[in-house]
Amino acid sequence: MISRLSEKLRSLRTMGLSMAGAAALATVMFLPTQSAAEEEVVILGIWPITGPYADMGPLLDRGVEIALEEVGYKVAGKKIKYITRDSETKAGTAARRAQGAIDSEGVKFIIGPWSSGVALAVTEVAKKNKVMYYFSGGTEDITGKRCHKYAFMWAANAWTAMDANLKIFKKFNPDAKSIYLFVVDYAFGWTLQKYVEKLAPKYGLKIAGVDRHPLGHREYSSFITKAMATKPDAVYMINFGLDAISAVRQLYNFGFTPKKPVILSWSAGVEELVQMDPAMRANLQFGTNYYYTVDTPGNKSFVDAYKKKSGGIPPGYAPGAGYGLMKMTLLGMQKANSTDPKKVIQALEGLKGKNFVGDFAINGRNHQTVRPYFVARTKPEDKMANKYDFATIQDISSTEQPRDLNQCQDIGGF
Amino acid sequence: MSFLILSQILNGFATGMLYALVGVGLTLVLGVLNLPNFAHGTLFAFGAYFTYTVANLTDSFYLGVLIGPLLVVLIGFVIESQGVRRLYAAHHDYQLLFLFAIALILQETVILIWGPVGFSLLPPKFLAGAVDLGFTVYPKYRLALILFTATIVVALYLMLTRTNVGAILRAGIENREMVKVLGININKVFLFTFGLGAYLAGLAGGLATPIWGLTPTMGFDILPISFVIVVVAGLGSILGAIAAGILIGLAQSLTTIWWPEAANVVIYLIMGLTIILRPQGLFGSR
Repeated sequence: MISRLSEKLRSLRTMGLSMAGAAALATVMFLPTQSAAEEEVVILGIWPITGPYADMGPLLDRGVEIALEEVGYKVAGKKIKYITRDSETKAGTAARRAQGAIDSEGVKFIIGPWSSGVALAVTEVAKKNKVMYYFSGGTEDITGKRCHKYAFMWAANAWTAMDANLKIFKKFNPDAKSIYLFVVDYAFGWTLQKYVEKLAPKYGLKIAGVDRHPLGHREYSSFITKAMATKPDAVYMINFGLDAISAVRQLYNFGFTPKKPVILSWSAGVEELVQMDPAMRANLQFGTNYYYTVDTPGNKSFVDAYKKKSGGIPPGYAPGAGYGLMKMTLLGMQKANSTDPKKVIQALEGLKGKNFVGDFAINGRNHQTVRPYFVARTKPEDKMANKYDFATIQDISSTEQPRDLNQCQDIGGF
Repeated sequence: MSFLILSQILNGFATGMLYALVGVGLTLVLGVLNLPNFAHGTLFAFGAYFTYTVANLTDSFYLGVLIGPLLVVLIGFVIESQGVRRLYAAHHDYQLLFLFAIALILQETVILIWGPVGFSLLPPKFLAGAVDLGFTVYPKYRLALILFTATIVVALYLMLTRTNVGAILRAGIENREMVKVLGININKVFLFTFGLGAYLAGLAGGLATPIWGLTPTMGFDILPISFVIVVVAGLGSILGAIAAGILIGLAQSLTTIWWPEAANVVIYLIMGLTIILRPQGLFGSR
């Protein structure tokens, strides 16, 4: 009995020593990691590297890099560890990878992705994990009915954008009576369509018809045939990227444009225009969150830095958004002099200032960045000063969405 | 509504004939070489990019369409003679992996040469704009495309059914061991078949550029449709591939009238129904 007891004690002592040793080893191993983690802030850029918007991912990332280089990868006394993940433009994949990066890399801030549908999944991940999130895209839900304390929107509000597009269209086409809508069938498209339908009567315009198409659609002939039968004064497109380019190409083939204008209401700017032949884009009006000729000191330095990285090609909306999202996130950290998401959020709420797109203000009630939206018209080929001199900005609108249209009832707390 | 249906039937034929060209190419390679060519889509993309490049260099769309697909044939010859030929005796898995790797390499090569951003190529001036058909206004290029691809498909069908080369290819599809026994150099037959498949993919790519434009991923967009055509047609059936291409084009086009969101789904629905109701395909016997 005694020998069994002493054996047990011996074994417990051995186990205790082993555990103490393991704990000491773990402490030694853990200490440098913990101290490294304390010295750096991890920011995740979740971008489409593969999938429907794969061409945009590297451009968004390039914009982010420029913003980080400007601060030397340091903010509020800490090193910035910037990591990326591929969203694949799939909500499930993006949410899973964002969660994985939070768990394994200690991510405290997320920017991206590119698609509204995917953003609605990522914003929930940010909310659940109390991670600050900045997005740029068409859905109003991020700062509308799905608003929460951790999410911010960089792109102009959909209402602001659609109002600016219709205003300029009517200004240059005073006799126009009707428009026909091509709408991409997901959150981004639905939001913008809702506002165009609400705003069109204000400018004396009737909606001649609406066709919704899936993301990644390449054949628009049936929509064009239907649209042309209604004899609209313009085709108003609520789609993006290759979808928009394909539609413009086929509208040209059917002889609709350049006789009549085509409106790209939410355009990537340079990245879309460069893919179109000058004949195709001869009568385009486009609205965009960023165009490289914006006349601000901050924009000039951004455009110069970008051109050095891109072989002389000016930035479009994608790199502009990447740059803008990172700049705003860094600005929050600088104002808070902290990388604690809560303090950064508090510093951003209600913040006003000037940046590379012009004057901005962050609405503390819904976290919408109130900022200029640009509407431009393309130049004829013989008026272009160089091959990237696509258009002239016609209007800059910063009109805030009317409060009664915003569905963010209560942004909640931390 | 009738004007829209007629117009969509025309559109269905235009895209269907392009699908038929791609489908026949894939069917030939699958039938004769017993090889599912996963690089077929990227050959389509190379056809488009070569056409674009030649058309820009020569300022002639016609020269682009003439020379571009021939350059794709050269790529096809290299893939067959330097890669695929070494794997005929190997397990199917190795062939699949090799061709999938080739597809990825070719797609990345497109990005390296032409960049990640796409391009547009206008139809030639003679075929630019639209013509009033009475019931609808329709692009001249699409009408010309229907006529031209129909001519190519008929010529191809006559070549396969009325010439010695065609007889050898058809015999290869039926029983390639027998072709070997008859003393025909099977390596040459395989090389020719792979080259012909590459040409048809490249030609479809070149002809499609004024309608669909050019993007580095265009090869991977067309690849699933090509395989659907092969399944619906019946493995190795040339006539079936032509009919299935047109059927898929028409189905896709007509679906967009009533349910645009389902335009891509309908392709796979047709494939699923074919597998359930007629597993050998519409024109297949095995």
